[in-house]
Amino acid sequence: MLGRIVFFLCLPSVLAAQLCKPNAAEGFKVRLSIKTALGDKAYEWNRNQRFLFQAAIAFAMSHHLDLEFNVSNILVCDETPRVSFWFVVTSPDDPSRLVGKESVELAVRASRGRINNILLLNDATLEFVGVLPTLAAPVKPATPSWLIVFGVVIGIVGAGIVFLLVSTVVQKKRKENEVAEEEDDDEEAQMKRTAGNEGIYNTSFSESDRNTQM
Amino acid sequence: MAKDARDNWESPTQFVLACVSYAVGLGNVWRFPYLCQMHGGGGFLIPYLLMLLLEGVPLFYLELAIGQKMRLGSIGAWTAISPYLGGLGLASVVTSVYLCLYYNIINAWSFWYLFHSFQSILPWAACPVNSNRTGPMEECEKASPTQYFFYRETLNISPSIEKSGGIQTGQALCFLLAWVITYLFIIRGVKSTGKVVYFTATFPYVVLLIYLIRGMTLHGALNGVKYMFTPKMEELANPTTWINAATQIFFSLGLGFGSLIAFASYNQYHNNFERQAIIVSLINSGTSIFASIVTFAIYGFKATINYENCLDRTRILLLNSFNLAEDSITINNVFEMIEKLNTTFPEQFAELSNKLEDCNLENELSTAVEGTGLAFIVYSEAIKNMPLSQLWSVLYFFMLLMLGMGSMLGNITAITTPLRDFKFLSRVSNEALNGKRTKQHLEEIRLSKLWTKLPLSRCLPFIFVSLKIHLFRRPLAQCELAC
Repeated sequence: MLGRIVFFLCLPSVLAAQLCKPNAAEGFKVRLSIKTALGDKAYEWNRNQRFLFQAAIAFAMSHHLDLEFNVSNILVCDETPRVSFWFVVTSPDDPSRLVGKESVELAVRASRGRINNILLLNDATLEFVGVLPTLAAPVKPATPSWLIVFGVVIGIVGAGIVFLLVSTVVQKKRKENEVAEEEDDDEEAQMKRTAGNEGIYNTSFSESDRNTQM
Repeated sequence: MAKDARDNWESPTQFVLACVSYAVGLGNVWRFPYLCQMHGGGGFLIPYLLMLLLEGVPLFYLELAIGQKMRLGSIGAWTAISPYLGGLGLASVVTSVYLCLYYNIINAWSFWYLFHSFQSILPWAACPVNSNRTGPMEECEKASPTQYFFYRETLNISPSIEKSGGIQTGQALCFLLAWVITYLFIIRGVKSTGKVVYFTATFPYVVLLIYLIRGMTLHGALNGVKYMFTPKMEELANPTTWINAATQIFFSLGLGFGSLIAFASYNQYHNNFERQAIIVSLINSGTSIFASIVTFAIYGFKATINYENCLDRTRILLLNSFNLAEDSITINNVFEMIEKLNTTFPEQFAELSNKLEDCNLENELSTAVEGTGLAFIVYSEAIKNMPLSQLWSVLYFFMLLMLGMGSMLGNITAITTPLRDFKFLSRVSNEALNGKRTKQHLEEIRLSKLWTKLPLSRCLPFIFVSLKIHLFRRPLAQCELAC
């Protein structure tokens, strides 16, 4: 009777030992780089931290499969000083049956961010070997930012060119007007005009000193 | 009272700055440091300075002399010396046309990079995420983010030269902008160019100084500078060193393209170009050396970062393979740990040997790059590792732009000046001429002046001789075509 009680008590742990082993078919290797991630604030990896990890995975599984997973459904083994270990997930209905690798992977990927935050790590420092991270979608603004700067610069340059061309034209017009005004005062032009009116211009009354130089 | 038909620089300073702006270009930044590294570091300065003395300064002086005396662009100036030399002038104009066509593309790239620097994360700092968001893009993984940005996102390079990749709209827009800005700078000829060169000649020095200070304070910069300045004298026995030194002087000073003749043709007749020629040549060489110090500081920084990253990757590989505690291997004792692990676990270590990288600082330093690889890939890689990288990026690419634009001004002036001597391109510059008669009149005066001034000129002997022979022969009426 006692033997049988002992047998049934030991059975779960024995089963667990058999279910969780390195290179398990349905298991994943996890690698933590706590000191790299947190430096001075790094926490010691102990039983309690491991419990937190198991709880996080249980949460991820429950969230994904909509079943109630318990911390005891997450089995951890083969811990190394690196802080790496293997874990497997047992089904809540039948502790001797393992949940398939694909479901575990999908569950972990879906809640990866949450698991990272619980353990104060990130995708690089909390490594699930074989599980690809889901990276944030790149933020694409409506107009690429370079186009805005380009638009500003080419606008300014275009305005500069237009301004210079217009000022050239304006200056030319102004010069032409000045030349035209000068010609108005020109004696020759006056003489021509008087000749055109069929008269003779009498230079003795002209104001220019051309003919009378001392 | 005839108005002077030819534009002039507003002051000799403008002329000197224009020459400096033209001569100090991208070659000083991305070719000279490479040559220095390839040909034995500090030792390369010996053939370089020797060539400067033997070919650089004399040819520079010659071009300024011709330009200033003839007061014509390269075609007119060479034809005035001897009609048989007219082809030389024509060839230099054609070369300048080809040069202008492709040189502005580099300015377009500088614009592209400059505009992309106004982002919180520089686009070449990290690989973009692939389509199913599981990791970086495969192409980018194989190369590096900076190479990916240059070859894929900037150029969108096609697999071979036979395959046309089509027009890249981003590049086309930047190219258009580069030409529009060039037009703005030369729109009034020397009047506008003269004002622009104040900025394009001086700003690169400001940036280089800032980069020198920043570069010298970077981690590992001194490795690079030390590497550059340790001379390897055996390189001097290699004739390629001397050839490269001569070529570098020639292209760096921009000799033979007609730009210097064009610039000098806008000088006052009695300008002291002898002193200016020496000043500009020395400034050009000084800038090359200055820029190579900066480049090597940056090289040193980049090489040290790459070396330390390599060590870090090795460290992680060892930690993961042997499941050791994280702080058992640090960057400093990677090599000792490799030795220790090799002896303790030889079979396990043997499995790793193909994944283990060989981290060597010397190898990183000796990867010499030149040209666009240096300017757009190596430098942007170094910049992304600096704190406040957006600021450094903007400064750097703006400097590249100024260097490129300054050289473009010279090249364009080399084309427009001789053309303007033949025809009047009123759209490109402001016409200051009052009709062809005035010009003819002026040319007659000018030539007679030349004749009387010739014995007193400081031109080199062969110009003196050929002028005397040929000018006396040609009647002044023939002036119209080629004066």
